[in-house]
Amino acid sequence: MIAKEFDLAKDLIERNYWLIRLRWIAIVGVNVTVLFTSQILKLSLPVFFLYAISACLVIYNLIFCIFLSRIKGKESFVIVNRIANAQISLDLLSLSGLIHFSGGLENPFIFYFIFHMIIAGILLSRRASFLQASFAVLLFCAMVVSEYSGLATHYDLGKFFILNRYNNFIYASGVSFVFISTVYIAVYMATSISQRLREREEILAETNTLLKQQALLKSEYVLRVSHDIKEHLAAIQGCLEPVASGITGELNPRQLDLVQRAVQRTAKLIFFVKALLEITRIKLTKEIKMDYFYFQDVLSEAIAHISSKAKDKNITVNSTVEPSIGRICGAQEYIQETVVNILANAVKYTPGNGKIDITVNDQGNTILIQIKDTGVGIPADELPKIFEEFFRASNVRELEKDGTGLGLSIAKQVIERHNGKIWVESKQGKGSTFSIELPK
Amino acid sequence: MARILIIDDDPDIVEAMKVVLESKNYEVAIAKSGEEGLKRVRQIKPDLIILDVMMESVDKGFDVARNLKNDKNHQDIPILMLTAIKEKTGLGFEKEAGDPDWLPVDGYCEKPLKPEELISKVKELLGKR
Repeated sequence: MIAKEFDLAKDLIERNYWLIRLRWIAIVGVNVTVLFTSQILKLSLPVFFLYAISACLVIYNLIFCIFLSRIKGKESFVIVNRIANAQISLDLLSLSGLIHFSGGLENPFIFYFIFHMIIAGILLSRRASFLQASFAVLLFCAMVVSEYSGLATHYDLGKFFILNRYNNFIYASGVSFVFISTVYIAVYMATSISQRLREREEILAETNTLLKQQALLKSEYVLRVSHDIKEHLAAIQGCLEPVASGITGELNPRQLDLVQRAVQRTAKLIFFVKALLEITRIKLTKEIKMDYFYFQDVLSEAIAHISSKAKDKNITVNSTVEPSIGRICGAQEYIQETVVNILANAVKYTPGNGKIDITVNDQGNTILIQIKDTGVGIPADELPKIFEEFFRASNVRELEKDGTGLGLSIAKQVIERHNGKIWVESKQGKGSTFSIELPK
Repeated sequence: MARILIIDDDPDIVEAMKVVLESKNYEVAIAKSGEEGLKRVRQIKPDLIILDVMMESVDKGFDVARNLKNDKNHQDIPILMLTAIKEKTGLGFEKEAGDPDWLPVDGYCEKPLKPEELISKVKELLGKR
């Protein structure tokens, strides 16, 4: 509930900023219009008052801007809602002022009040929107009546109208009726639309939560099943291995061959189940334990892990780490596993005599790890799927039958849990570059 | 020859390990639960204990290990912990093995363990005594 309120407040802040942006445009519009009508159309306007009001607009727009940035992070819906109300009320006042000093009822811009009614309908509750509409009507009536009765000066638009209309009762009351009804109808329509949108948004949010819960349930199920499977597999492997290694007595070659096949298949299955357990475990862990560690250590260990396999294929592995990178914050084991994973892929899919270049750059708040190989690459149309669970690129499937298709999705989960990013650039036949951006 | 007690509730794993260890002429005793294990330790005073983590409860093995390490008569017996727990908790226990407050065991291995790995680990721990 609190989270929801927080979301609502955040949402409303966004819209407040939108209103502020719109006002900057309006301010420019007001000044250009005043300049145009007074200088080019040569209408005799009280430009001093008009510029004064636009100066007021600038000032309170700045104030709202500063105020909104001050309450960032501790926003409450009530306060943000008040700001929205204040913004609209002040706008209505300013607009009334502008209209009064530029012809009152005779000014065709009078219908700009409608925009504020629509804005109110989007930002505020229905009740608040109707209150704002009534405030607009009140301001409008006060202006019309006071000008009609002579209580307030009527500023003539001059050449715009041949006859004065502000003191024509039928005209004044007719326009007022149209004005007032338009204002209320606008509010009614805007609030109806935004209410429906809000309802739909709520339904979407609920569905989203439900989906997340179901994903969680699925993960728990996968965890349970894979764990049970792994226990049985471990027992099978435990029983087969003494036989395969001759502990229980020597086997004839055919027996040995078949038992060894069984051992290998079990090993592959265990590897797969372990990967499945790992990715599920990361998904289910709410918080992974993070600590400070030296990134250089992780990289050295990761390289040591793959060096013998790289040597077998005569692949050169070069690494350069910017010396300014010291300790970073993260789950060391997970990060190391991720780097090992990507390096192991690079070795696996780079033909003999190839090259793997690792560079780690300091980017201030983040580090950028890039692992570039001269391997088989990834087909362009398969690039977007490469981090998906169980996906294996077609050229890689031909090259090596076995593989879980989970390595890169585990990597992605790990990096995203660190609020980092992982991506790949690749050209089939030329090689791939995996990049990881990690916060320090 | 050294006497080894296996405490594990999985009869197949136990049998497989027994075969491997007996092939190297170790004397092997078996306990099928944590509680039985504690009793057997007192009866036969083994030279090494191979201990499973998940038995009666998910962390029974930890209880047994802690119990033995707090017992003056038995705290010197090396314990090799065998488990599949790594995936369940997301914690690598290797680093903590040997920290008496956290995981009071002398060695830690993940199942399944290859015969040669089991033998070398057993030799290593028996040599430590």
